[in-house]
Amino acid sequence: MTRMLLQMDSITKKYGEFSANRGIDFSLRAGEVHAIVGENGAGKTTLMRILYGMEQPTSGTISLNGKAVSFASPLDAIQHGIGMVHQHFMLFPTFTVAENIVIGHEPGSGVRFDRKQAVSIVEELCETYGMKVDPEAVVSSTAPGVQQRVEILKVLYQGAEIIILDEPTGVLTPLEVKELLEAIKQLSKQGKSFILISHKLNEVLEVADRITVLRDGEVTGVVNKGEADAALLSRLMVGRELADLDRRPAQPGESVLEVSEVTIRGSKGKPVLDNVSLNVRAGEIVGVAGISGNGQSELLQVISGLASSDSGSIKLSGKDVTGMSTRSIREHGLAHIPEDRYVWGANRTATVADTGLMGHQRRLQRSGMLKLKEIRSLVSGWVQKFSIKTGSLDTSTQYLSGGNLQKLIVARELEQGTPFLIAAEPTRGVDIGAMETIHGELLKRREEGTGILLVSSELTEIIKLSDRILVMYEGRIAGELSVNEATEEKLGLLMAGGTLQ
Amino acid sequence: MAQLFDLALINSALRVLTPILLAALGGALCSRVGLFNVGLEGFMLLGAFSAVAGNYFFGNVVYAIVFAIIVVSLFSLVFGYLSIHLKANVIVVGVAMNALAAGITTFSLRAIFDVKGAFYDNTMVGLPKWNIPIIENIPVLGPILAGLTPLVYVAFLIAGLMWYYFYRTKSGFRFLAAGENPLAARSVGIRVTRYQYGAVLASGVLCALGGAQLSLGQVTMFTEGMTAGRGFIALVATMLGQSGPLGVTAASLLFGFMDALSIRFQGLALPTHFTQMLPYVVTILAMFFFKDKSFQQDALKQGTSSR
Amino acid sequence: MNKWTKWTLPLLQPIGAIIVGLLAGAIGILIAGGSILETYAEMWKGAFGGMYFFTNTLSRATPIILIGLGAAFAFRAGFFNLGAEGQMVFGALAAALVGLYLPGPGWFVCIAALLAGVIAGGLWSVMAGYFDARFRVNLLISTLLLNYVAVLFAGYLVAYPLRDRSGSAAMAQSPMLDNSVWLPKLISGMPLHIGFVLAVLAALIIFVLLKRSVIGYEIRMLGGNPLFALYGGVKRGPMMIGAMFASGGLAGLGGAVEILGSQYRYIDGALSTANYAWTGIMAALLAGSHPIGTLIAAIFLAALQTGGMGVERNTEVPLEVGAIIQAVLILFISARFTYSFLKRRKENKSDGTAV
Repeated sequence: MTRMLLQMDSITKKYGEFSANRGIDFSLRAGEVHAIVGENGAGKTTLMRILYGMEQPTSGTISLNGKAVSFASPLDAIQHGIGMVHQHFMLFPTFTVAENIVIGHEPGSGVRFDRKQAVSIVEELCETYGMKVDPEAVVSSTAPGVQQRVEILKVLYQGAEIIILDEPTGVLTPLEVKELLEAIKQLSKQGKSFILISHKLNEVLEVADRITVLRDGEVTGVVNKGEADAALLSRLMVGRELADLDRRPAQPGESVLEVSEVTIRGSKGKPVLDNVSLNVRAGEIVGVAGISGNGQSELLQVISGLASSDSGSIKLSGKDVTGMSTRSIREHGLAHIPEDRYVWGANRTATVADTGLMGHQRRLQRSGMLKLKEIRSLVSGWVQKFSIKTGSLDTSTQYLSGGNLQKLIVARELEQGTPFLIAAEPTRGVDIGAMETIHGELLKRREEGTGILLVSSELTEIIKLSDRILVMYEGRIAGELSVNEATEEKLGLLMAGGTLQ
Repeated sequence: MAQLFDLALINSALRVLTPILLAALGGALCSRVGLFNVGLEGFMLLGAFSAVAGNYFFGNVVYAIVFAIIVVSLFSLVFGYLSIHLKANVIVVGVAMNALAAGITTFSLRAIFDVKGAFYDNTMVGLPKWNIPIIENIPVLGPILAGLTPLVYVAFLIAGLMWYYFYRTKSGFRFLAAGENPLAARSVGIRVTRYQYGAVLASGVLCALGGAQLSLGQVTMFTEGMTAGRGFIALVATMLGQSGPLGVTAASLLFGFMDALSIRFQGLALPTHFTQMLPYVVTILAMFFFKDKSFQQDALKQGTSSR
Repeated sequence: MNKWTKWTLPLLQPIGAIIVGLLAGAIGILIAGGSILETYAEMWKGAFGGMYFFTNTLSRATPIILIGLGAAFAFRAGFFNLGAEGQMVFGALAAALVGLYLPGPGWFVCIAALLAGVIAGGLWSVMAGYFDARFRVNLLISTLLLNYVAVLFAGYLVAYPLRDRSGSAAMAQSPMLDNSVWLPKLISGMPLHIGFVLAVLAALIIFVLLKRSVIGYEIRMLGGNPLFALYGGVKRGPMMIGAMFASGGLAGLGGAVEILGSQYRYIDGALSTANYAWTGIMAALLAGSHPIGTLIAAIFLAALQTGGMGVERNTEVPLEVGAIIQAVLILFISARFTYSFLKRRKENKSDGTAV
């Protein structure tokens, strides 16, 4: 057996009663790509935070090149040649690419920061590792794929031998994903080792030499390249066979949402929404696919009255609601599961009951005063139905876990009983159980004749739930596919700005 | 008109803008690291008082200024501890610091000097007023720079140094980074809280200098609440200047000019109430025309409102 | 045991803060060369020792309560209205003008004067709210600066057109109000007037409004997460105008009751030097913008001031020792905002939005 570059032995991490990691063993060879897969909450992130010095293990040891080490901070880890590319990029948007890469180890003599030298350093790095970036571009104006390269170059500049990539492909187009996987292979040939955290099994299968599967804080399997397929991995991840969704073909009725030729001119001359037209009929789910940042958020904001359009019109159940306030639009029959539950969907300081009340407050009142009893029984009904784990209805919303909060929001919006529903990223960051509940509820709503506009960055979710699929690219509808003709490849092509002809 | 706008006006503008500029530079440092320092007013008030107190005790202007710097630095550390370490709401802390400064100064005025309202002692020496030998005789420049205190020059020097620090040094680069994205800065080992404390401390020192210019520059006395909102005007200068040294200097010039103009108007038949209003009204009007960029970005994100 | 901790824990920090505040005051007393125990005893006597002093404290608390409630209301809705001083001054000025020049029976003029106070304070406050909603002029700063404008403008009016030229013309003040329009006293011979009842009522109404009503709910949500409120159909613009009117109106009412119940004329600088406005804002901050808490905090802060006067009468220690205790209290209480501040994501640049 070749000597391991990195060895983590029986790592356990407890938060109070709860164990995020239980006796995890993990190892990495030089030049190896070792993937860690698992559900949300399986303990991947905790393990990597421990390795990167952001958390201290409750018990267990880490050794590098056979020597025991412990990292008090990320700085420690960096000095030992471990670098991490975070899921949410750690970049400074107004700084240039070169500045972003050299930060922390700036070139120059004395106190002076030599920016010219920084540029030439970055040019050299690009040369050495065969990755291309423009050192003088401002980061905020570059594409996500470039930002990812900047992150990797930064880690390499810091002298990393082991590079942790946390969900690196979430914001990338399929083409950019391909380039990234290529770069990983290239760098591993040059002797760099990678730890790849992901839940996208096909990417993992393509690039990883070894795959460790985590579930509930424990290792449920370690498989080598060639021994694994997606079915095996997902069984190891979930621990049971997933029930297939029971879905019948849609029986669409009248249009409940008609968006015609909506345009929002952006600040930089490029339209954010470019002449978007779509319709959703009663009893069908229309999926909107696309890399995030291609106008989906703005589209939802325009439909729900949170932003105004420069031209075009929106009809809800046949009634023109263009330019109406959010309240009137809701009164005309819109419910909305928002894309970011903390930004739009909840008030963290408010109680669970108060967060659950939003949108119902004008209904559950008598002469301006809230009917508190009815409100409480309504919300506690949701808590039971969706098995939302909360201390009480008076618990502060911030203490709910992400999945439980999401279920509360879904329950709240379904309760509106409107003919049209926006479901934006309805299962982002929730566990499999909650995801199944939410998907089931959405399909049930469809059967009952609600028209649903589903926006999701997860292609699998889109394909699983939608009857028709629209792809957004740079503020336009780049194509429409029925669920029968849609494949991940075709959607990926449209998402990257290609055409199907 | 000519009587209103002459070189002496520019000269007096330079004198009165100095406290605003110094405080605004301190505010800019704080806002660059994400601390909206509403406490500038209190910092400056305490600076003005301790400069006079130091002057009275030590009978020496330099010691007086050093004393003011020490006092306000300690005071600013309280602000820093609460808002950085305990992560208290900076605005609430700022408001409380202003109240505390007002309380301490009026209390000490009574407890130390046993006077109410104002303290004046003719043994005290004010800041020296420089007339630089050769420049004195240059036609336009001479009258403009006549009899300015060293702190006026110091203020502009500091603005220049700050520019060099921000855009030419490694430390300044990291300072800006710490403010731009603290999380990312921490991930590359930048000690963000250290820079934040540094900014707060520096704003304390700058406000101490600003306060000293107020109480030892024009007049040599302390009156209760003598900052009269200059700290808040400085805060607006910070916003208008988008926390950059050059922008802040330009904004302070505008407000200093208004201040000087309002003093000049007092010679006219107008009721002083209206002339005194001028700087505040102009400051509010200025906010209509120049908006802090970051506020607008937030607003864009949100579609409708200013936050 | 569990119930015990549930009730005592929220009280721990205020009590701790009061202890620290009193310690800071003790240092001040030592510096001023007084005896700590004696001074605090005098302070207690000055605030609560006997019916006269007690009602005097409540009377002083009256404008502070109203102003504090106004500030708390705005803070709850997420608007950092620091313009209480100007709003109070305009309220007081309007009340004085109506009291002086409106013909009619005394009770009618008195009520009209109170209403005028509310409207004047409210409109002055709404102006800043409108500037923010429409032109994105930072509310925190504009309300602060408008204080100076209001005080100077009121000062001009009583120094020139409205100046009382009958008596000793040394002071810039308006003529005395006719005593038919004065607010009636609650107990004859004591300073306490009916304005205190108004203040307590206002606190109760705001408490119920925030906790039980639809509008109160929407205000709380707007203050907690404005985006969530927008998403749920709360209209921010009208809410902002409404909340700012209520906030400024309460401050204006505070100024009006002080004129109609205690001072009976507008005296330049009298309201500012008594520091009612900032004390009211402090009371709101101290109570975390809770209406009943604001009421209690306002009485406590008023007691510090009246107690301070007692101290000054009977010892060598200046009354400003109360101001120091008050400010230190706030500093320590402000640390409590830790958690609520962390909750708002990505909020590294604070501006006019509150707590």
